[in-house]
Amino acid sequence: AVGMMLLLKNVTNSLLCTKTLLMEKVGQMMDWASKRSVIRMNGEKFRRFVKAPPRNYSVVVMFTALQPQRQCGVCKQADEEYQILANSWRYSSAFTNKIFFASVDFDEGSDIFHMLNMNSAPTFMHFPSKGKPKRADTYELQVRGFAAEQISRWIADRTDINVRVIRPPNYAGPLMLGFLLAVVGSLVYLRRNNLEFLYNKNAWAFAALCFVLIMTSGQMWNHIRGPPYAHKNPNTGQVSYIHGSSQAQFVAETHIVLLFNSAVTFGMVLLHEAATSDMDIGKRKIMCIAGIGLVVLFFSWLLSIFRAKYHGYPYSFLMN
Amino acid sequence: MELICLGHFVLSHNPEVWILGELMLNCSWGGVGGDSIHRIHPALECHSLVVSLSSFLLRFNYRSTHHLTSNGFYEFLNWFDERAWYPLGRIVGGTVYPGLMVTAGLIHYVLNLLHMTVHIRDVCVFLAPIFSGLTAISTFLLTRELWNQGAGLLAACFIAIVPGYISRSVAGSFDNEGIAIFALQFTYYLWVKSVKTGSVFWTIGCCLSYFYMVSAWGGYVFIINLIPLHVFVLLLMQRYSRRVYIAYSTFYIVGLVLSMQIPFVGFQPIRTSEHMAAAGVFALLQAYAFLQYLKDRLTKQEFQTLFFLGVSLAAGVVFLTVIYLTYTGKFSLSLMRYLCPPPRYAKIHIPIIASVSEHQPTTWVSFFFDLHILVCTFPAGLWFCIKNINDERVFVALYAISAVYFAGVMVRLMLTLTPVVCMLSAIAFSSVFEHYLGDDQKKDKEGLGPNIKSIVTMLMLMLLMMFAVHCTWVTSNAYSSPSVVLASYNHDGSRNILDDFREAYYWLRQNTDEHARVMSWWDYGYQIAGMANRTTLVDNNTWNNSHIALVGKAMSSNESAAYQIMQSLDVDYVLIIFGGVIGYSGDDINKFLWMVRIAEGEHPKDIRESDYFTPQGEFRVDKAGSPTLLNCLMYKMSYYRFGEMQLDFRTPPGFDRTRNAEIGNKDIKFKHLEEAFTSEHWLVRIYKVKNEGSSRTSSFLRKARS
Repeated sequence: AVGMMLLLKNVTNSLLCTKTLLMEKVGQMMDWASKRSVIRMNGEKFRRFVKAPPRNYSVVVMFTALQPQRQCGVCKQADEEYQILANSWRYSSAFTNKIFFASVDFDEGSDIFHMLNMNSAPTFMHFPSKGKPKRADTYELQVRGFAAEQISRWIADRTDINVRVIRPPNYAGPLMLGFLLAVVGSLVYLRRNNLEFLYNKNAWAFAALCFVLIMTSGQMWNHIRGPPYAHKNPNTGQVSYIHGSSQAQFVAETHIVLLFNSAVTFGMVLLHEAATSDMDIGKRKIMCIAGIGLVVLFFSWLLSIFRAKYHGYPYSFLMN
Repeated sequence: MELICLGHFVLSHNPEVWILGELMLNCSWGGVGGDSIHRIHPALECHSLVVSLSSFLLRFNYRSTHHLTSNGFYEFLNWFDERAWYPLGRIVGGTVYPGLMVTAGLIHYVLNLLHMTVHIRDVCVFLAPIFSGLTAISTFLLTRELWNQGAGLLAACFIAIVPGYISRSVAGSFDNEGIAIFALQFTYYLWVKSVKTGSVFWTIGCCLSYFYMVSAWGGYVFIINLIPLHVFVLLLMQRYSRRVYIAYSTFYIVGLVLSMQIPFVGFQPIRTSEHMAAAGVFALLQAYAFLQYLKDRLTKQEFQTLFFLGVSLAAGVVFLTVIYLTYTGKFSLSLMRYLCPPPRYAKIHIPIIASVSEHQPTTWVSFFFDLHILVCTFPAGLWFCIKNINDERVFVALYAISAVYFAGVMVRLMLTLTPVVCMLSAIAFSSVFEHYLGDDQKKDKEGLGPNIKSIVTMLMLMLLMMFAVHCTWVTSNAYSSPSVVLASYNHDGSRNILDDFREAYYWLRQNTDEHARVMSWWDYGYQIAGMANRTTLVDNNTWNNSHIALVGKAMSSNESAAYQIMQSLDVDYVLIIFGGVIGYSGDDINKFLWMVRIAEGEHPKDIRESDYFTPQGEFRVDKAGSPTLLNCLMYKMSYYRFGEMQLDFRTPPGFDRTRNAEIGNKDIKFKHLEEAFTSEHWLVRIYKVKNEGSSRTSSFLRKARS
């Protein structure tokens, strides 16, 4: 009977112990969560708060590699979405201690990556409050993408907690517009006695040309598709600015094309000016030579870039 | 050919453009001559003209034209085509722009009246080249109004050979866009002419041309927004004149009434927001003219009071009306569709639009491919136009800026950019050549000297020659192979023609019941209807998303579930495209994910995209592929009997050349289907749906009858 009593005492003791431990853990997690919506964890914290058993809360963990030397562009984008999701939860009225959002960076907790046998980042995993994570607790990033709404749907699937994603409204666009309007307005106000500058053809022509050149160099494609600026080969460290296929492009490449197109245009204008302006003949001759040089040189350069991208194109001019 | 006659006409009048003429002849061997040759090239190469008419969408146009010529215009307007979109059917008269069919029918009618017996098919095949000649002429006229004759001539040369336009005007491309670009350019010419002269005669001409444009292509919206924009900018620049007032008032009223005569357009011009800019500018112009009138009559003080009162009143009324109309739903704010980039809009709303490659944004490579040197020189033309601005140059500048925006957003709209690029480039080249060809005109100024001048001229001519060569190359390589015949190249460069499509369609035509219903993915709908003359479920113009989704669901379900769907749709045959034998990448397995996605959009409970991926998120057809994929109808139909086939000694049996993988499910058996036909290179496979229960009447018809 004494043995029984002892056992019972032990059990209650350990239960009490677990309870206080749990309370302590939840308190600690809540404390962190109130400071930052995504809790940053290292190996030790992860083992203690996510892996170790007494737990009545779920944790969603993003395994990522955000250090700049890791060169993970997707990680940054995924991180932004994840922050949006975590903030939506943190500041929603339904906020409870049932679920926490955490992240583990490879450079702070590489042992976790080894422990979970994980070799790609970013990865989202859900650690349920009871039992081990199942297969569906790993988010299918390749299939579902990393939009905050998708992740929230997945979380709702796994935990029955609905996180309504609230994106902070993008103030950049209206602010820019307002700023631009203010600049234009103040210019007009300052020069209100002399509105001649509105009739300045050079300024208007320059603005029109800028717009046209921006469009023809494929900036709209960049805007919609969001390609990287350039590609660095991880093995050789060589940076390539030109995309190898004709179906895609890098941002750097479109800037180069923009420059070349404007050089050819400028050459044409110079040629015309050389023939019509009233300057002395020496200057005009130089303008003329510079003009034709710009046109021919940059056009053939452009052609050679095109040739490199469009496989099987047979023609070139001046350079290969 | 018209161009060369035109060239001689201009040359005899204007000695200054002699050398330009020579330049043009220079182009003419590689270009203009080559142009007519190349436009007709595909038609001549394949034995029968039918083949060249067989790009996907175009077969439908041909079928409607044929219906028009054999049954008359009114019958055409009331035509209910029960062969399309089975079991719904399609009212053709009210859902197409009839301009193309009427034009071809009219030419056919006139030729027959003159006792020249030509088959309607031949008229259709050669319609696009004829209209591209007309486009060249109207571009010449428009550029002559904007700049001078020399520039006009160059512009006509450019548009005759530029790849961006040739893509729509090769012989056999019987397409709305082919005639619409002519209508567009001609409308703009007449508009510029009417702004210049202020005569009602030219404006009425402009309205008639606009009417033709409305009847031909949905892109008329571009005109009805660009012309008001022109007027509005003229007002802002204080270039208002009686000429503008007469031209726009007449154009708006007559053009509006005429455009509403097209059944497909109907009341849209007074309902939808894309036409509202025109109405707003019309009201503004009237108000402006009225104020001008008052200004002459009143003192300055009175006028100012009246002005502010009037403006605030008008603004309030307009604002309230728009709110009221939007609120009551008579007026839809669909302007978002035009301002926000369509692919992004579409991706959010309908996967079907995102799946079509023509709705993609444009890379710089496609700009360069379609326009070559013109793309880098036309900003210079724009510069010259703005520097020497006048009423009509305002128009061309606005045209360039708006067209370049739309072309950047959507590859397909490159077509509307091409004419203005040709015109502005021609202006740039012409204003350079003007000063570098021939003797110095002004004696008071020292010239650049003959050496520099001839060097510049030579280099410029070289560039233009490069352009002509480029155009010839693009035309003969990219745009002139009919899409129904595939060509493959052997290691030694000799060419194989794969004629599987035609083989399969003729098999359908000869061996199946006349009323048989063929299920296929929507890309092949028009081809089956046109070449095999069988009823299809969905085609390239089906906008009923749920109908397409049902077909997608059938393709992506397992056999028994698919059989249920096919029974309910009365399908007799299923046609699929399979490229695994020859390595053709545009086949149905590669398009399969779109079918799944579209099906998922409508039936999220039955079809889930993630089921078709491996746990690692890959789309694989080999053993590691997901079991749902390996057992779905599309997979089974594509790879039936393929597992026994060894293509090569180096590869195992059942090796798919397109996806470079050995297939995962080699033991495929069918319960409800049987193989009916497989073409020579396995490109087209047709399956017959077994008819269980001898007296099966169509369940749909039964439902419809009861």
